[in-house]
Amino acid sequence: MSQVFHEIEKKIIISLKDNPKQTPETLEKSTKLLPDQIRRGIEWLKLKDLAIVNESKTSIISLGKNGIESFQKGLPERRLLDLLKNGSKKLSDLQKELGPIFGPAIGLSRKNNWVEASSDQILLKNSPLELPGEKTLKQIGNNKLSKDEIDKNDLSELLKRPDFIIEDVVKTKEISLTDSAKSIKLSESSGEIDVEAKVPEVFAARTHPLKDTIDEIREIFVTLGFSEINGNMSQSSFWNFDALFTPQDHPARELQDTFYLDGISAKKIATPEQIRKVSESHKKNWRYHWDINEARKMVLRTHTTCVTIKHLAETKPDEARVFSLGRVFRNEKVSYKHLVEFNQIEGVVVGKDANLRNLMGIQREFYKRIGITKIKFWPTFFPYTEPSLQTMVYNERLRKWVELFGMGIFRPEVTKPLGITKPVLAWGGGIERIAMLKYGLDDVREFYNNNLSWLRNARKCQ
Amino acid sequence: MPVVELSYTRLQKLVGKVTKKQISDSLPFLGLDIESENKDLIRIEYSPNRPDYSTDFGIALGLQGLLGIKTGAIKLSVKKSNKYKISVKSEVSKIRPFVTGIVATNGKIDDRTIKQFMTMQEDLHFRIGRKRKKSSIGIHDLDTISFPLVYTTTNRNHKFIPLTSEKELSISEILKDTDVGKDYGSILGNSPKIPLILDANQKTVSFPPIINAAITTITTKTKNLFVEVTGINKEDAEDMLSVVATILQSAGFTLESVQISGAKNSSPKLAQKKISVNSSLINQTLGLNLNASKIISSLKKSRLDASTKGKNIICIIPAYRFDIFGSMDLVEEVALGYGIQNLEPTLSPSQTLGQKHPISISLQSISSMMTGLGYMEALNSSLTSKRILYDNTKRDSSKIVSVLDSKSLEHTILRDSLFPGLIDSLAKNIHESYPQKLFEIGTIFNKTSSVTEETHLCATSSHKDANFSEMKSVLQSIIQSIFGKTCETKTTTHPTFENGHVANITVDGKVIGIIGEISKSTKDNFKLRELIVSFEIKLPG
Repeated sequence: MSQVFHEIEKKIIISLKDNPKQTPETLEKSTKLLPDQIRRGIEWLKLKDLAIVNESKTSIISLGKNGIESFQKGLPERRLLDLLKNGSKKLSDLQKELGPIFGPAIGLSRKNNWVEASSDQILLKNSPLELPGEKTLKQIGNNKLSKDEIDKNDLSELLKRPDFIIEDVVKTKEISLTDSAKSIKLSESSGEIDVEAKVPEVFAARTHPLKDTIDEIREIFVTLGFSEINGNMSQSSFWNFDALFTPQDHPARELQDTFYLDGISAKKIATPEQIRKVSESHKKNWRYHWDINEARKMVLRTHTTCVTIKHLAETKPDEARVFSLGRVFRNEKVSYKHLVEFNQIEGVVVGKDANLRNLMGIQREFYKRIGITKIKFWPTFFPYTEPSLQTMVYNERLRKWVELFGMGIFRPEVTKPLGITKPVLAWGGGIERIAMLKYGLDDVREFYNNNLSWLRNARKCQ
Repeated sequence: MPVVELSYTRLQKLVGKVTKKQISDSLPFLGLDIESENKDLIRIEYSPNRPDYSTDFGIALGLQGLLGIKTGAIKLSVKKSNKYKISVKSEVSKIRPFVTGIVATNGKIDDRTIKQFMTMQEDLHFRIGRKRKKSSIGIHDLDTISFPLVYTTTNRNHKFIPLTSEKELSISEILKDTDVGKDYGSILGNSPKIPLILDANQKTVSFPPIINAAITTITTKTKNLFVEVTGINKEDAEDMLSVVATILQSAGFTLESVQISGAKNSSPKLAQKKISVNSSLINQTLGLNLNASKIISSLKKSRLDASTKGKNIICIIPAYRFDIFGSMDLVEEVALGYGIQNLEPTLSPSQTLGQKHPISISLQSISSMMTGLGYMEALNSSLTSKRILYDNTKRDSSKIVSVLDSKSLEHTILRDSLFPGLIDSLAKNIHESYPQKLFEIGTIFNKTSSVTEETHLCATSSHKDANFSEMKSVLQSIIQSIFGKTCETKTTTHPTFENGHVANITVDGKVIGIIGEISKSTKDNFKLRELIVSFEIKLPG
């Protein structure tokens, strides 16, 4: 065993090796340590499983006022018997000589047939060598003794008498070494500390792991030349759906998929020209009655695309690289893979030369920077892009391909009514999915549980 | 995404010379995701804009193209016939004005085929039909019907034996007592006139858009079919019919025409349409340099026809491909036919300089200051429950912002403050070691004439000696860093906080937040014991 001991521990161990069972008080004497040092030393040894502390309650017995008197002068009955040693005496004389103890003395002696009374004469019949209680009285004397050391029977004789015996209950500790401690060989060297000992846990305060992922993604797009834009989470249906060519009777717009704000409608949703052109595109292509009140309904955005399209409609850039990060909402049942609220990244490239292969190239570069190199692209469908693709990335841990970002080129039916003339490459996807890969989580709810043991221990650097 | 279940061996038979692996490798490149596989059965997710992929017949057409087994557009060959006529009465115009239809003869139907037709019908009803409101379809056994038919109206007492029933029911009973009646009856509103298709013997064929008559039910013995589509506009009804016609033809049926007349109705054309696309748009959009013949062969692989006219490509698009609106849709068809796997990603150099939003920069630095002060960052949803936000904290709920029909009871209202969520986070961590110091930066929602959003910072500290002064020290430090100013704390009262231990936070005389010790009753409501002190402020910007 390679253990390092404090000086206090060493002294206690040495003392206990000499004298295997001790109280703190005896240790104080033998080690010359202060009571507080003994207390700490015992506690340390106990934690290391080197010392055993047995706590017990003990009755301490000492003599009371009458007991002390009897110890000095003899028990009342003994004093009576002694007076009768040389022949019988008159009762009244004895009474005078013994005073208040005469009563109990004569009563007890007659009961035990040690004396006999004839008319007023008391005479000795038998004088035992040791009367009940005498042995204990002598044993205790002026000392304090543990009740265990005393003959219980004999003691009981004294306990009956008033103010003979004082009984105190005290707690005592008995300290001994464990078997492993007995084999310890204490070295002479000192000044070492126990470098292998456990220490209290502390936790660094830190930013949330999901925020770290969001910040990392923001950083990547900034270095790829993208500027960040942002917008509200509550949006009119016009920007969340209509401007993105999603017809008003489309199933995605129903209550069961989208969170509508109860009784809240937007007053001003867009410019009259934007409203007119968007509604015309709907009527022409989807053949239904477009209703402005439907477009006014406020929703919690189902994607950040509404922020992007609003920005593009306002700025109508010839050339731009912008992205947005933020929370989006879906009216879903919460499960290990679905949240009602999650974060999305979305980016666009505007420019006359923007093309599908460039769009794929940006994806590949992004994934490379977050450490994902095994990717492929599959066609898919989105109402507002054409062509549309999705990225599949290989999850080494699950050993399967999982879907990540969706992408595409905004449909002319989206861009034209809003006066956007150059092609717009767009992509986006959920950030929690990426963070799950990064932190090896199987349950997306963990990000919002604020479970301190996870937050305190999730890896910060990987 | 909708899902269709089909069998590999059946698909192999339909496609032609093809292995199981070729099929599973090719499906994703048609935009079809394999959701799950179980021996011969596969479940496939298809795009909602491709109802033809709701059956294995349609998927087989796509696979044939992509694998080069059969390319080019599918042409419908409809035999002209005078036998089948539907006349339309003008009274339908107010309730469901249009009907169209087709006859398909000499086909074979097994159980699997019936199942495929059913998925197709469901898909058409749900999406293009907008839950049968826009248009709906009925497929009948032709041999149980005597032509000519009449599309007319009746009243709610009209009786017939509907599908899956054994006895006659009145229209009212169907709407009141059957599942389909309950689901779709609202389409008809309170109209006293109810649309109905009757045959030459006055027998009910169909009660659109609710249910067919039992007598016309198709079985595995059925050889000849009659399909009718009704709806509120002609184009949508014909779009739906074109999908069914294409699928029936590829299932081996011979198509025969149905003549329709009366009340602005006419026989369906199911005509192909032509769209011209500039080849430079194709190459520019895809980042390729394809010549005309490569473009044409790619389009053919996508089951379209094409020819050149100068620099333009003229595309022939069959009627069932009404998902194709214009030239950009054709660019995608070229990409699919060319093969997405053949597109090599390229990175064009950026000509723009990136930058973070100024608000992101300031929120990031506030986060780092809070962690520097020893606070751990927490995240809660914006959508929360009344219990956490108002009931447990006794806060004023008069400006509650609710969402409609949330599927999750824990997420029914938008938060207007952060600290209730953070106290709830403490309540979830009572078994973890103290001190527990948390902060959150997040959006809150205020009900105004509409709804406005603000960004708040909230911090909570919980441990056995937590107290007001401790939090005020943190607050002072953070206010100094954010505003470059000092703040004052002015006595106030608040239902969540302990009386005499709560203050408004003011900067330049303006209240920007609240700070205080959480009251015992609030802690009891969250089943918390340790002392808690908290502040919440509105952040600038």
